[in-house]
Amino acid sequence: MTASTDNILEIDAIEVVYDGVIAAVHDVSLTVPRGKIVALLGGNGAGKSTTLKAISTMLAAERGMVTKGTITYDGKPVKDQGPADMVRLGMVQVLEGRRCFAHLTVEENIIAGAYSRKLSKAEIRNELEKIYTYFKRLRERRKSQAGFTSGGEQQMVAVARAMMAKPKMLLLDEPSMGLAPQLVAEIFNIVNTLNQKEGVSILLAEQNTNVALRNADYGYIIETGHVMLHGTAQSLLNDEKVKDLYLGVSKEGRKNFRDVLRRESAVHPDFHQA
Amino acid sequence: MTDFLFFIEVVVAGLLAGTMYSLVALGFVLIYKASSTFNFAQGAMVFFAVLAFVGFMELGLPFVVAFFVTIVLMGLVGFFTERLVLKPLMNQSEDTLLMATIGLGFVLEGLAQAAWGVEVRRLDLGIGDFPIPWIIDSTGLFISALDLTAGLVAAVLIIGLALLFKYTKMGLGLRAVADDPGAASSIGIPLGNIMLLVWTAAGIVALVAGMMWGARAGVQFALVDLALKALPVLIIGGFSSIPGAIVGGLIIGASEKVLEVYVGPYFGGAIEGWAPYVLAIFFLLWRPEGLFGEKIIRRV
Repeated sequence: MTASTDNILEIDAIEVVYDGVIAAVHDVSLTVPRGKIVALLGGNGAGKSTTLKAISTMLAAERGMVTKGTITYDGKPVKDQGPADMVRLGMVQVLEGRRCFAHLTVEENIIAGAYSRKLSKAEIRNELEKIYTYFKRLRERRKSQAGFTSGGEQQMVAVARAMMAKPKMLLLDEPSMGLAPQLVAEIFNIVNTLNQKEGVSILLAEQNTNVALRNADYGYIIETGHVMLHGTAQSLLNDEKVKDLYLGVSKEGRKNFRDVLRRESAVHPDFHQA
Repeated sequence: MTDFLFFIEVVVAGLLAGTMYSLVALGFVLIYKASSTFNFAQGAMVFFAVLAFVGFMELGLPFVVAFFVTIVLMGLVGFFTERLVLKPLMNQSEDTLLMATIGLGFVLEGLAQAAWGVEVRRLDLGIGDFPIPWIIDSTGLFISALDLTAGLVAAVLIIGLALLFKYTKMGLGLRAVADDPGAASSIGIPLGNIMLLVWTAAGIVALVAGMMWGARAGVQFALVDLALKALPVLIIGGFSSIPGAIVGGLIIGASEKVLEVYVGPYFGGAIEGWAPYVLAIFFLLWRPEGLFGEKIIRRV
């Protein structure tokens, strides 16, 4: 809100525990500068989705809790809010796996995104038209039942639906999941356009490191609930360790970050990044 | 010719009686749509609502006032159900919710009888359960005024609810929650409010159904078991479909009367009680999602 906070989101050393016993995130800190795209990278079970759900407060619905650290969104701590409050404050999460309303039409899905806003029928029409200019393919499919559209279209519906809430910040959980490379490129193009034209800040969780870093300004790599490495997208793309582990340009076989760090700290005992 | 006229009369009486099953089934469909749970307490809600209504009338409230006071009461029942039962059980399995509704049913039955007593009450809606003279004169059919009223009331309720779901914001929210509560919550649809709305609507439907049945059979504990008749209706029509509840009710109503009259004698009569269940079993074999149930969408 104030000029001093250029970051729309600040996460300081959070720990997240499910069911009171299972720690999914141990120590994650990250910041999202206003109007930027930040990528949260890592494999299955690294804690990406959990981190996103901690931010959008969807955790409670899965019996998870932030037990340590703080999350600050738009200058205010995220603590006692529920998901509906967060949406009203302009933070919308696009859940992993698209999660369209299968029995609703594409257009009804998108309109449902405006639920938290008090809009007249005419205003909704206007907003819809604006959304369709970004998602041209959805205009043709608007009368189709969402459950019968393709995976790429469903992902577009999910993002379009979130945009109807007029977010200041979007949390995207694996938008590339299960999509052909061409569609992934199309989705990321749209995301980039939304970021530039609508000024939406974006935090996206991805396993597809290459695509994510090419479209992001900044990146964080997390593994087993810890931030392992972070930096500008460009620096991460050029980082030898990242190339080695996540971009599939390694000469040796696959391994994880911890092994690389262990090997390095054996060579240089005082170098330990995590 | 009189045989044919008699057949028509049996079918029409069956169809109209069927709308009363539809009314009960409608309450189940509402809650099933929103939380994928078969609400075992629906029968108890019917009993609770109509007993309260009769109770308020006995206290001297005029008909219309008693009706609206009962609606407010059912709204409160919905509110407390959401707060004390549904909210704490959020994200538990559907089986857990099902068991909770059984418990809720006992609570409502107990509360109703504790508040108003256990004796059978008469409910006079001012509509007799006897054939309408002008219909007899013009067509020769004997059709009960109460049946006809129940049919009209059911039609109005159904059209109203269908419009509500299709064209209002609340309705869109409800359908979204029915499809995916997690995704609905992620775009800011408040689940609690939707549940409250649905339970209140189910409460109003229960009240109307209870008034119709109460006028025919007296306001008594047996109304709770009426809800069971809604089960074959739902199996035939589909648990998640409002038109399904209507058509299912009509099919059950008409077929049980026709079977009772024409097939019943071979079984020594009184097959009305179980014939609908046999029909339901055939439907389960042939079309498990019901006539109008939402097809399970599976992309391949």
